[in-house]
Amino acid sequence: MPENQNFNPEDGLQISTPRAGKVSKYKIEHFVAPLEETPLQAVDSVKETGKPLSMWAEAWRSLRKQPLFIISAILILAVIVVAAFPHLFTSIDPNGQNACQLENSNEPGRPGHFMGFNLQGCDVYARVIYGTRASLLVGVFTTLIVVIVGGALGALAGFYGGWIDAILARLGDIFFALPLILGAIIVMQLPAFREHRSVWTVIVTLAIFGWPQLARITRGAVIEARDADYVKASRALGLSRFKSLVKHVLPNSLAPIIVVATVNLGVYIVAEATLSFLGVGLPGEVMSWGNDISLAQQQLRSNPMMLMWPALFLSVTVLSFIMLGDAVRDALDPKARKGA
Amino acid sequence: MLSFMLKRIAQLIPVFIGATLLVYFLVFATPGNPIDALSGGKPMSDATRAALEAQYNLDKPFWVQYGLYLKNLVTFDLGTSFSGQEVSALLGRAFPVTARLAILALLIESVFGIIFGVIAGMRKGKWFDSTILVASLIVIAVPTFVLGFVLQFVVGVKLDLVKPTVSGAATWGELFLPALVLGLVSLAYVVRLTRTSVIENKSADFVRTATAKGLSRRRVITVHILRNSLIPVVTFLGADLGSLMGGAIVTEGIFNVPGVGHLLYQAIQKGETPTVVAVVGVLVIVFVVANLVVDMLYALLDPRIRYA
Repeated sequence: MPENQNFNPEDGLQISTPRAGKVSKYKIEHFVAPLEETPLQAVDSVKETGKPLSMWAEAWRSLRKQPLFIISAILILAVIVVAAFPHLFTSIDPNGQNACQLENSNEPGRPGHFMGFNLQGCDVYARVIYGTRASLLVGVFTTLIVVIVGGALGALAGFYGGWIDAILARLGDIFFALPLILGAIIVMQLPAFREHRSVWTVIVTLAIFGWPQLARITRGAVIEARDADYVKASRALGLSRFKSLVKHVLPNSLAPIIVVATVNLGVYIVAEATLSFLGVGLPGEVMSWGNDISLAQQQLRSNPMMLMWPALFLSVTVLSFIMLGDAVRDALDPKARKGA
Repeated sequence: MLSFMLKRIAQLIPVFIGATLLVYFLVFATPGNPIDALSGGKPMSDATRAALEAQYNLDKPFWVQYGLYLKNLVTFDLGTSFSGQEVSALLGRAFPVTARLAILALLIESVFGIIFGVIAGMRKGKWFDSTILVASLIVIAVPTFVLGFVLQFVVGVKLDLVKPTVSGAATWGELFLPALVLGLVSLAYVVRLTRTSVIENKSADFVRTATAKGLSRRRVITVHILRNSLIPVVTFLGADLGSLMGGAIVTEGIFNVPGVGHLLYQAIQKGETPTVVAVVGVLVIVFVVANLVVDMLYALLDPRIRYA
């Protein structure tokens, strides 16, 4: 402890003695410079012009410097563009009349068709490109529904407590006792779902079993924020309970919700692929990575690359969402940022 | 401790009833009259149909059916499947296989997960740590069924190290590869969780004290850092047992393991209410009991948590 060695407690006493009461006896010595001599305001001043950085602005500043964030953001942008405009990336329309030629069945890659052909003689690359949309739609819309429903219920439970909280906790326990895939398989067998199988039924099914997790996360975050001073201040200023929840508590509980939602977007894409793989997800005619992997599995031993390409696209997409979630968590958590 | 346990067990009852009710309702509302599935779509006389519906209680209102089912479940009379086999016998054959699979997966993920996690956490920022971080992200991102097919193809078919599919006996050796596939995603989570927890704890005051009083590095790591880092890991492992049993549906399909997932999938396809609800009921019990055990383990790992 070298800093402390120069410290002598007596010093403090000597300083305080002349100042305390006996001032008139001694010549006044200034141990501390008088206020008017040193502009203390200048020493302690905080820049008051200019808005202070919000948590979001600060997080954005540290995000921009993270290679993990840049890579995952570029990958996700690319996936979104592919999903929105698949025709920009391949001249072959896999839905077209002459898209699949049986003479090409299981042919390896060749110029113009570098991923080769599947059993039906369809170009694997074109199918992978056109299959992006279904997977991304499932991921994005499941996440949206889960965030809206789970977030709203979790916020109400955390903020108001009491019977809403008790009922929601029990309900969450019941849903947690059923693993996601297991519950989704059962729901996909319901008449309403089995007969109208589409991207939307898969989205609703995954959302049914996805919301309790987000409700729990939101509840925790809201409970942490609801007793903060700024919330009390807003109530003292006459804001209604509900308005203070919406205007002050929720914006301050968003960080964990965003992180979990981003990571889960990838999880839902995997869940859709798993359901399609088991034959209870998207209908066979919808082009999706899960369906293509399911088809390819039958010829795994003769043509393994047919499974690898959609699996690679699927994995890279999921990976970029997980990395984005990781990067955002690091940026929003001041504790982690200090250590870095 | 005893009153805490009783309270926890009492809390399990509504969860159990709710989950079985949910599943029973869903399966009850599933399309295709199960009797049609039984006859294979062939026409049958009204009298036969009525007799079969009466046998499976399908002619009674939903609540009566569920009540009867719950009564039977409590008395361990799980009913018969449509092929005339006792569900309890079917489950008795399939459950040990899946239990072996899940336990093996849990063992693999906890042993390797904690070891890798501790090493990575102690050497934060070094090459081992970075490799582990990247590898775990990749494992999390690749779907289990892709991982299963790739490992089955590479290890089982190309390298011919193990049999690619599991026989009816489902021995421990045969189950190693399926268990690895089943546990690999959770293994990645365990590694990351342990690593974070170790990094947090290794700069704690009690670790500095332990080092300062001259304890060996080995003892500091195993007793002081590891024990304090295990609480989030144990929570995860407990909750994971349930998802392992559920996730087995995919792994058992790939490796042809005659377990609960296999049984369940076939029962759902055939619309066999008793089998589906019995199997899910057992899975729910396993899940809630695992959570209960985790709660008990807290007290052992952290004496600060006392159950009055």
